[in-house]
Amino acid sequence: MTETVTNLWSIPLLLIIPILTAIVVNFLYGKVKAIRVVAILSSLALFAIAVISPYGYHWFTGQPAVLLNGGYTYSVQIFAWRLSLELYFGYMQQIMIAVMSLLLIFVVAISTKVMSKNMGTYIGLIFLIYMSSAAIIMVNDFYHLWIAVEIGSLLVAGLVAASGESISQKAALKYTFFSAISGAGLAIALALILGITGYPNVSDAIVSMHINNIQGMQGILYVAFGFLVLSWIYAGGLAPIHPLKSDVYGASFPHATVMLQTQSKLMLVAIGLIILRVFGTLPFAKEVMLGISVITMMVGVVMALLQTDFRWTLAYLIISHSGLVTVGISLGTISGIIGGMFQAINDVLYMSILLLCCEAIYYYGKGTSIKSVSGMAKKAPWLAFAAVVGAFAASGIPPFNGFQSEIILIQASLASGLPEVAVVILMVSVTTFIALFKSIYCIFLKADSTPETEQAQSRQGSIPVPKVLYLSLGVLIVLVVLIGVYPQLATDFLNDAAIKVVSMPWVP
Amino acid sequence: MIELTLQLLSFIAAGLLVVIGLGGMLFLDNLIKKIIAFTLLSDGVNLALVSLGYVEGGIVPILEPGSSYLNFPNEAALIFGPGIVLTNIVIGVSTTAILIALTMVLYRRYGTLKASKVLKGERK
Repeated sequence: MTETVTNLWSIPLLLIIPILTAIVVNFLYGKVKAIRVVAILSSLALFAIAVISPYGYHWFTGQPAVLLNGGYTYSVQIFAWRLSLELYFGYMQQIMIAVMSLLLIFVVAISTKVMSKNMGTYIGLIFLIYMSSAAIIMVNDFYHLWIAVEIGSLLVAGLVAASGESISQKAALKYTFFSAISGAGLAIALALILGITGYPNVSDAIVSMHINNIQGMQGILYVAFGFLVLSWIYAGGLAPIHPLKSDVYGASFPHATVMLQTQSKLMLVAIGLIILRVFGTLPFAKEVMLGISVITMMVGVVMALLQTDFRWTLAYLIISHSGLVTVGISLGTISGIIGGMFQAINDVLYMSILLLCCEAIYYYGKGTSIKSVSGMAKKAPWLAFAAVVGAFAASGIPPFNGFQSEIILIQASLASGLPEVAVVILMVSVTTFIALFKSIYCIFLKADSTPETEQAQSRQGSIPVPKVLYLSLGVLIVLVVLIGVYPQLATDFLNDAAIKVVSMPWVP
Repeated sequence: MIELTLQLLSFIAAGLLVVIGLGGMLFLDNLIKKIIAFTLLSDGVNLALVSLGYVEGGIVPILEPGSSYLNFPNEAALIFGPGIVLTNIVIGVSTTAILIALTMVLYRRYGTLKASKVLKGERK
């Protein structure tokens, strides 16, 4: 596909359609069938737009970049002032938004089957989360980055609170309080970068730093870096604020967590790449990012081991695997960045399988605790198969997709002279395997006769599992295997973005 | 010189508001007081952003008939700071609304506004 030189038609559509859908489904309050039709059609349209769209920009000033000699250029390769707030849709954005759109279709279809009250509002929130995530991954200016992160945070709180349990309302309140602090930090970072460079556009800020001698302002740059890293930590739930994010994941409906974790991974990639482009040359910047990533991986996986509820095991594993995404980006090499972005895509896919399995387990077993649910393999063998595939993929076992991205990350760590990071990645893989198979064994294979399980069985009648959930699992399993066997299906989309970040950081 | 001092004072006031707000959010136990502290923090950030746009002897950044186009970029106050502030006000109001709504729901459930009791973990 070609890159357009005028404002790209698909970028506004990817943001406006979810907003309009959210408004419409809110107005259709109570009309279940109408909400279902509108939501599914919108999500299909978004997927189609992401797949067929050409590549290009949306300039909010409507003008191309200004050359240093005063002329204009549409070429992104040339060093020039962009002088505008802009969004960019490239190869990397395409695959990430396409994967997110596919998950949106599944999540919306499942939500319309399982949600009974407040369905319109709930689905509206899901669409708005999609919108904020799409904006974050396409953004090339600090202003939109800040707005998208802020909106995304508030929507996360709304979606978590929508599950109606006290634990989810508490998680939402804590998350919103911290979002206030992190949002203020991001605004200050934006102000500092603006103060130093005079430009809100990321590319312009980088060009300005290259042209002007800003060594004397390194202190201010470090403060801005610190605040941006704070928002990165917050957005992705990295250590040390992982308890907030794990509460958010664990307290939501598992199908909602599919969208929440997708949003987190996209935010980690988008903000991580911007930090790398702007501050990558600062001494210790990559080391700080790497340190946070390694701690997150280890803390997350250890916490996952300690859990006795499958839902919470997954919540902490999502945190731990966010560290895998950021490790690659923090390495700052082409293969590291490709590995990080590829891991984000893979992670989103296999975690979605596990989360949907978790939702189905809840319907079958009336709970997700390994103490109260057992012997599920007899009742739902296909579900057991899906959970095992998801667990294999998450543990980095071939021929599933997790293996391909983890091997790239390990190779990138070794190539960067950091064998200790490679060892940590391997340890995370092994520990993920143990944590997941502990739960899978208890839920699916253990004999169905403990007093707790009998008590749980007698509590209420089983909830029917929507067929669309099985369909979603089937599609995701195919994708996980397909990417595992043919990794170039995804990596071909990611090379371009990684090369730009390393060689031409001023190009979005 | 006076203007410069005013800008400096403005930054100091912004810093104080941020510190007081942050301290309140972290150390106060009452949820409503935490929310009020958040609004102080948000105001501090807004003040810092507005102060950033100050240009000594500057003019309002609106081009009027007869204005000098040549000197405008150097004379005009930076417009982006107030632009961000407008957005930040909207975000601040939305965040406050969500915080108050969640606080009300939790107050109905627990009958107290003490964060130490309301936000106590219940997961086994």
